[in-house]
Amino acid sequence: MRSLLGFTALTAAGALVLSACSEDGTAGGESGGTIVVGSVNTLSGSATFPEASEAAAAVFDAVNAEGGVNGYTIDYTIVDDKGDPAAAASAAREVVAQDEAVALVGSASLIECQVNADYYVQEDILSIPGIGVDPDCFTTPNIAPANVGPFHDMTLSLLYGSEELGLDNICALLEIAGNTLPAYKEAIQRWSDITGKELLYIDEEVPYGASDYTSYIVRAREAGCEAITVNPVEPDSIGQLKAAEQQGWDDVTWLLLTSVYSENYAEAVSETGNGVYVPAEFYPFTDSDSPETEEWRDLMVENDIDLTSFSQGGFLAATYFVEVLEGIEGDITRESVREALRSMEPIENPMVGTPYVFGPGDTHHDNTAGFPVQLQSGTNEWELAGDEWLHIPEEHLPGE
Amino acid sequence: MLQGALAGLAAGGVYAVLGVCLTLMSRLVRVVNFAQAAAGMFGTYIAVWLVSNQGVPIWLATVVAVGCGAAISAAIGWVVSTWLSEADTSARSAVTVAVLLLLISLSFILFGNKPQPFRPILGGPAFQVSGVVISQVAVFTVTIAAVVAAASHALLTRTAVGIKLRALSERPTTAELIGIPAKLFGIAVWAATGAVGTLVIAIVAPSQSNDAIALSMLVVPAAAAALLGAFRRLDLAVVGGLALGVLQGAAAQMTELSVARHFLPFLFIVGLLVWFQRKEVWDAAR
Repeated sequence: MRSLLGFTALTAAGALVLSACSEDGTAGGESGGTIVVGSVNTLSGSATFPEASEAAAAVFDAVNAEGGVNGYTIDYTIVDDKGDPAAAASAAREVVAQDEAVALVGSASLIECQVNADYYVQEDILSIPGIGVDPDCFTTPNIAPANVGPFHDMTLSLLYGSEELGLDNICALLEIAGNTLPAYKEAIQRWSDITGKELLYIDEEVPYGASDYTSYIVRAREAGCEAITVNPVEPDSIGQLKAAEQQGWDDVTWLLLTSVYSENYAEAVSETGNGVYVPAEFYPFTDSDSPETEEWRDLMVENDIDLTSFSQGGFLAATYFVEVLEGIEGDITRESVREALRSMEPIENPMVGTPYVFGPGDTHHDNTAGFPVQLQSGTNEWELAGDEWLHIPEEHLPGE
Repeated sequence: MLQGALAGLAAGGVYAVLGVCLTLMSRLVRVVNFAQAAAGMFGTYIAVWLVSNQGVPIWLATVVAVGCGAAISAAIGWVVSTWLSEADTSARSAVTVAVLLLLISLSFILFGNKPQPFRPILGGPAFQVSGVVISQVAVFTVTIAAVVAAASHALLTRTAVGIKLRALSERPTTAELIGIPAKLFGIAVWAATGAVGTLVIAIVAPSQSNDAIALSMLVVPAAAAALLGAFRRLDLAVVGGLALGVLQGAAAQMTELSVARHFLPFLFIVGLLVWFQRKEVWDAAR
């Protein structure tokens, strides 16, 4: 069902290229002392991501409370794409064409980039998603997410497994929805280029949302995998860990992605073999006394927003955006925001290992650092698995 | 290959149990119950909520879950037998599709869409056959499939209640005229299959991925299993469920078959439908 959604998204994206031609490209933001900033999020349906835009809203509220940016108040508009391509397309049109937003900030959606990337180019508007998921979030000119993304995250996860943990026989179980396969393969290839190592095997046809993963786990065990890397959604990963537990396979290491880094996941699994390792895309929020996350944590607690990677992404996207706005001289319009983001200097933040820059590039896949965390059997709690950021070596990055 | 096939037994057992429930429903109350697995999912979610929020012991929560699953199923049965007693199988089955969607949505509303922290009642390996681990859950599901099928068969052929149930399913009007309480019997069948379905889902959910949709959609392979017995024969439903599980397990071991894996239940269904129609003359089949 979920992979169907991906295909539908693709078709809708294609249709959009055609329909976008009829839209007129009005530049907005001249409604006196208020600018509209939009955000397209999956807020209803079977998988929802409300925290990123809630966190961004908290940042903008705090800015507005102190008089706004250069005299402008930010009117933050959050729209729901319901995880549905058609709704995602109309949500983007609502904020871009109707509300005349100057930019999109803090979005978090499974399909939004894929559906709207061409429309944003057409309308000359830039988007800083809090959490980008699909490949189009990282490979199109007008979108530059605050997060690392699942593809670099997979390279980092493999690097941690092979280089830090010294694991040799790593296997990959990929759950592919829509057009993500080439991007994951590229991520794995990047790891091979860096380390000179190969995966034992890659299974590209592991189903999303299956009820029982035992046979996939048995195959991996038979093949002699020491570690398994997966790009899972939470319930699927829980199913895979439980299948390994049922098989009595207690010495497998899991090299997973930030998609499972949540307190809810830690609560739901008890047996993790030799451990679940994740390169967290932001400084680990579960390290509760860390000065790195203090500013974010205080704001989230004050606004009663869940402490998750999503709220970190939304917070960062909004924080970067405000800093760029502050540097704009003159009117804040879609055009001036675009110019400012494209010519911005990199912004450092203790919650990320790579400074953020939008820049003039045609692709934006520049956040390349993760902070390793681990979940060991019986603890139900994430712990730090290192004391420094893990980086993808620069010479192996695209465009280098 | 053999390892993979045996690994599919746990899933196959679940398909078989649910397939037997579907067969019973189809035979006795003329319904293909698409909400069979969803009722079990909902009951199980209630159990998880009781364990994690109310501190209820897991065995007691499971008992409550089975009761809830039976009650949900009985409630649908009451609606169907009250307002659709004369309707054909398609109309009666359509009601259960609505209930399936309702239960999935309701579980999102009540329990959220994040995975639930299930604690297993049964867990870990039971024994090994030539190096292949058979899990306790696999032993349980296969056993309960066989037991439920055998017990249902015995009930229907050897007891007075069974004779009355068969009378109701084969000659409903005649049966009612001779004083068999059709509605009561119908609801009892709904409740019993609801209870069995919930029990098996409550046992397997902690060992699988357990979001509302994945659990509710177990009804698809279960329907494929029931179809092998043409929704009439319990023994073939068990065989169908186990065969499907084993096939899926074996297919997962081979990269060449990777595309077919997702569609196995559907291929199974289409293949069986074609086979059943093999002797039909073109015009007569329509």
